[in-house]
Amino acid sequence: MSRQISVRDALYETPGKNARKIIMASTVISIVAMVLLLCLVIKIFSDNGQLDAKYWSFFMRSTTWRFIGSGLLGTVEASLLAGLTAFSIGFVFMVMRISFYKPLQFIGAACTEFTRGVPTLLFIYFFFLYVPKMGINLPSVWRVALPVAISASGMVSELLRSGVNAVPKGQREAALSLGMRETMVFTKIIFPQALKYIVPALFSDLVIVVKDTTFSYIVNFPDLMQNAKVLISNYDALLSVYLVVAVIYIIINYLLNTISVTMAKRGGKR
Amino acid sequence: MMKKDNTIISDVQAPVVELKHVEKYYGAMHALKDINLSVKKGEVVVLIGPSGSGKSTLCRTINRLENIKSGEILIEGEKLPDGGKELAALRAEIGMVFQSFNLFAHKTILDNVMMGPVEVLHRSKTEVEKEAMELLKRVGVDSQAHKMPSQLSGGQQQRAAIARSLAMHPKVMLFDEPTSALDPEMIQEVLDVMIELANEGMTMIVVTHEMNFARRVANRVVFMADGAIVEENTPDEFFTSPKTERAKEFLESIKGHM
Repeated sequence: MSRQISVRDALYETPGKNARKIIMASTVISIVAMVLLLCLVIKIFSDNGQLDAKYWSFFMRSTTWRFIGSGLLGTVEASLLAGLTAFSIGFVFMVMRISFYKPLQFIGAACTEFTRGVPTLLFIYFFFLYVPKMGINLPSVWRVALPVAISASGMVSELLRSGVNAVPKGQREAALSLGMRETMVFTKIIFPQALKYIVPALFSDLVIVVKDTTFSYIVNFPDLMQNAKVLISNYDALLSVYLVVAVIYIIINYLLNTISVTMAKRGGKR
Repeated sequence: MMKKDNTIISDVQAPVVELKHVEKYYGAMHALKDINLSVKKGEVVVLIGPSGSGKSTLCRTINRLENIKSGEILIEGEKLPDGGKELAALRAEIGMVFQSFNLFAHKTILDNVMMGPVEVLHRSKTEVEKEAMELLKRVGVDSQAHKMPSQLSGGQQQRAAIARSLAMHPKVMLFDEPTSALDPEMIQEVLDVMIELANEGMTMIVVTHEMNFARRVANRVVFMADGAIVEENTPDEFFTSPKTERAKEFLESIKGHM
């Protein structure tokens, strides 16, 4: 196979001498601007006393980090459960949608549109406020994982469907010609290939799930966000805690994106 | 290369493939018009004609990859089932080779060949693997057995696809423009495999633009135009003195490529 062509190579021609000068100049200008902006932010912080020791000193204690760590575990737990559940529900929606029965197709499409259209917060409130009233007591992790999963399932369903549609028609025809039944064609030929196409996108969608689990504070599940709130009220330190927590979320999601990109590259070679 | 010996074709048995008054539409387009065709055991029938004449469609109706509107398709005297288990079982006995090879992209060449016998016929893996390797050797890609399809050349992929079909021990092989997607230097290697198959007595229905192949290997040439069979003839007569005006025009138009 020939060398991989990046989107940039495909969309733009190689910059010439003048273009390179302009690119260089604008890079320098934007770097300077960003540094100035950062200095300004720090100055505003220090003017308002946000850099005072009392807002930061408790980060030196191991208990603080242990507490943040347990919150992180909660976030990971809720995200994994929500991710796996979203995949399962999305898979069911997708199978209904591509089935040969018109009513099922309609139900699948309706579920997909419903879950994609309703904000996650509404699902959270439903599971937090209404479901217990029906006498169903979910463990607290599921009170966040399930609504987040349902909210993401429509998106996953569409993603899976795009993967299935991306498998060339000839693969199905060849499998049918060998005497396979539709179910086997799907499970042995179509779906494994579809999955290969979309696994990178699935991982980057997990970012949305991770961010949605911050609704945990509503249902009192001790995730990163909830524990951050506890730290904030204990030490009366709003900005410093949120800054640290934001950095942790960025790291998690950066990792997910890295996995996604690596898989996309590996998948592209095959 | 020898032309196949016509005398071994028996008239006693029911034809392997028989089409009676087959009609097909794509929307308003009349794709197949009153097709009657009968292919006996061991016969090699080549379908030729201009593009859009319905030859691929005809080929694909035989294992019901395309539905027909009316008429009958019989395989060894039995009516082609509408669907379900019966249709799947019948398709398992009809080999199909596609223009774009359609090897399963996520499986190795060997797995591609083994898939049908193992998954559909539920035969034992060890036994099938031995046979699959022999088949791959026969088509000359045994050294590529453990590679993925995308790592092979088009010609190698198509030969592997033929091996995949043969692994099912088909009663008849359908070839839907098997060399049309190949680079010129790879066409012959695929044709050679097909010629060998024909010489071994395989019943074959071949849609192709390779006139030399038709000349040398076919027992019968079926010329189609605008969805209808215009002329059925022996290759000798068809290429030297076609009966119909339409066939003459067609042969004239492709003269440079023969």
